[in-house]
Amino acid sequence: MTTVLAICVTVIVTVSVYLMLSRELKSIAMGVFLLGHGANLAIIAMSGSPVLPGGDLRQPPILGGENLVDALPQALILTAIVINFAVMGFLLTLLVVTARKTGTLNVDELALEDPPVASPEPDRSADRGVGR
Amino acid sequence: MRIDSLILRTAVRLVLPLTLLFAIYAALKGHNGPGGGFIAGLITAVGLCTYRMAFGQRAFFRLLPTHPRWLVFAGLSVAVGVAVVPLLLGEPLLRSGSITLHLGGEGLHLVSAMAFDLGVLLVVVGVAIGMITRLGEELDP
Amino acid sequence: MTDNLLGLLVVIPLATAVASVALIRHRIPQRVLGLVSFGSMLVLALGWLSEIRDGDVLVSQMGGWPAPYGITLVFDSLSGLLLCAGLVVALGCYVHSFSMLDPVTERRYFHPLIQLLIVGVNQCFLTGDLFNLFVGFEIMLMASYGLLVIGGSRRQLGQAYKYLILNLIASTVFVVCAGLVYGMFGTLNLADLARIVDARVASGEGLPPGFVGVSVLLLFVFGAKGAFFPLWFWLPDTYHTCPVPVAALFSGLLTKVGVYAVARTFPLIFAVGEARDVVTPLLLVSAAVTMLLGVLGAVSQNNVRRILAVHVISQVGYMVFGLALMTTAGLAGALYYMVQHMVVKSSLFLCCGVMERHAGSDDLDRLGGLLKRDRFLGVAFFVAAMSLVGLPPLSGFFGKLVLVREGWADHWWLSVVALLTGLLTLVSMLKIWTKGFWLPPAEQAPPAPGRDGDTGSGDLRGAYAGIGFLVVVAVLIGLAAEPIYEIAFHAGEQLTDPSAYIRAVDPHGLIAAGGATGGGG
Repeated sequence: MTTVLAICVTVIVTVSVYLMLSRELKSIAMGVFLLGHGANLAIIAMSGSPVLPGGDLRQPPILGGENLVDALPQALILTAIVINFAVMGFLLTLLVVTARKTGTLNVDELALEDPPVASPEPDRSADRGVGR
Repeated sequence: MRIDSLILRTAVRLVLPLTLLFAIYAALKGHNGPGGGFIAGLITAVGLCTYRMAFGQRAFFRLLPTHPRWLVFAGLSVAVGVAVVPLLLGEPLLRSGSITLHLGGEGLHLVSAMAFDLGVLLVVVGVAIGMITRLGEELDP
Repeated sequence: MTDNLLGLLVVIPLATAVASVALIRHRIPQRVLGLVSFGSMLVLALGWLSEIRDGDVLVSQMGGWPAPYGITLVFDSLSGLLLCAGLVVALGCYVHSFSMLDPVTERRYFHPLIQLLIVGVNQCFLTGDLFNLFVGFEIMLMASYGLLVIGGSRRQLGQAYKYLILNLIASTVFVVCAGLVYGMFGTLNLADLARIVDARVASGEGLPPGFVGVSVLLLFVFGAKGAFFPLWFWLPDTYHTCPVPVAALFSGLLTKVGVYAVARTFPLIFAVGEARDVVTPLLLVSAAVTMLLGVLGAVSQNNVRRILAVHVISQVGYMVFGLALMTTAGLAGALYYMVQHMVVKSSLFLCCGVMERHAGSDDLDRLGGLLKRDRFLGVAFFVAAMSLVGLPPLSGFFGKLVLVREGWADHWWLSVVALLTGLLTLVSMLKIWTKGFWLPPAEQAPPAPGRDGDTGSGDLRGAYAGIGFLVVVAVLIGLAAEPIYEIAFHAGEQLTDPSAYIRAVDPHGLIAAGGATGGGG
């Protein structure tokens, strides 16, 4: 069980890093969201396997009795999911607003402090955009 | 984005009340099992989102009782209120109290944390609706 | 000692934010509410600070759940001092914003956002729990994302993403780290973790495999928020574009919360045993490079706001220097330095806002002759700049003195770097002073439209009140160096010997009785 989860986390993180290396903010945002899911799965993997050595399953803590699942990692994940949800909503809204205002979601074009068309000295503004 | 389809409109009319009912169920169930205010809020938001897709922005606004800001305000007020009341009684923040109503059978167990959950529900619905309307503004007015 | 009212420091700003949402269309009631909120928090925090000046620790267990199981709020010397400094900064910037923000921006949820930022910052300072620290960070960051793009000009939107994405990645790594720590020790309570780690090192059992990795990952997380050496690239651009009161608030609060998180967790937990041998050199090198690169960047800039922004980085280097020493006096020095830096840096940013308002630009080539035009601003800027440089009897001097003296024995090269940085700080500050205030304006360049589109000086009473308040506090910190340093010294003692902290968090000995045994999975 833990091995399967570990493989899942690896795949998710790989994909998300690939997405984050893109120049398009949409892909970067998706990569960040995916990284959040990877992190949550990693915590699940950390909380130990729900399958006992004999093949029985651990019980949900609310039922009481023996061999309970540790509930705290799930509380952590729930909190992280809520926060992820909020961040995701904010980031998507911001992306839409940015696209409307600037007409681009390309990282290089956004990094220019002044839009190239309006700038009187296009060379200088390009210099200021990179390098810091 | 509005999808102009009779099938969707009919389906949404049927599904929306069920979704809201399920949200209430999830919110109440959250006290002793999987569920709770956050997930119930999301379910409500999904239901409203489908309604928005089927009927468009204007009909959606007619459905809403008030501006989403006031939903967030109400939710936060309830949640903060529940968190603060124990302070006034000399207990630490967020301490939860409970009463059991004897209505026959096992009785009804009411916990102050449920009010907190209700606050969370309202906040989630308000935020989700706010985002949906804001993002959908330009797609079709 | 238990004091259940500690929760008020989180509840007051939250309730104010909620009320502000209801009053979003009315500016004046929102301002009054905000002032009441900051004022009452400041009074409460100062009261508690005077209560704990002998090294006591105030504790509140949220929801009444005892220590290792519930969430604990702790008000000790470290968090108390920073909390008070943070509230002073917030109050100053808030008053300043009254005359610096245009009404449209102000109505876009400025007041609720600033209160939420304080909710997050206070929670970070107060919490005694690693995961709750993450939650505090997130509240603070969400509010800061909002404040960063408030007004939503094209430049702001373009520059905000660096800060946003880096912080999102860092937060995700933080969650993973919290999960890993829980998997290793079965607890996230800082006091409990400190006890377990100490016991395992003392008994020779050793720390679990991967502990050093988690330490370094957390250093990355806090370093990204605190703008330590390789992770500071987001800072100059973001501070350059947002409204002045917001930039001042960020420079005073955000990076310091990152430094605070290092100060709180590393001496207690993550730099113990073999982790210390890995973390300390990282911190030392990072401190040196941060100090030097930051100040060199500042000297090379020709734009007031950028100079100040890059200076934030250089000053963070001093704090990391103190933390890296991990001695009582080193930590105390770092803490004292943080307190004075928060106040001084914010007041400089606020001065910069008024300068921009007068000249319509913050480009040094366009500024000049401001001393004649605005005496008050000149004096305030000079006092603040000189305490940043560290001239006695101003506050920066004592912080640097403690750090340099403490570092001299083991890491003399770092002390030399610190002194050199001080000199270069003087150079860059004098550059602003001479070009902006002393020299006559180069030639009457046509006033360029200001950042927020207004060129008239307008009503600056709020701005002067904010600057005056912060500068007076900065001078007081220098004059009252002794009592403040005493509290900072208690903080250093509590960090190097956490037994008092653990006892306060856990008066009934639940932790010591083995409430969490380690090895959660």
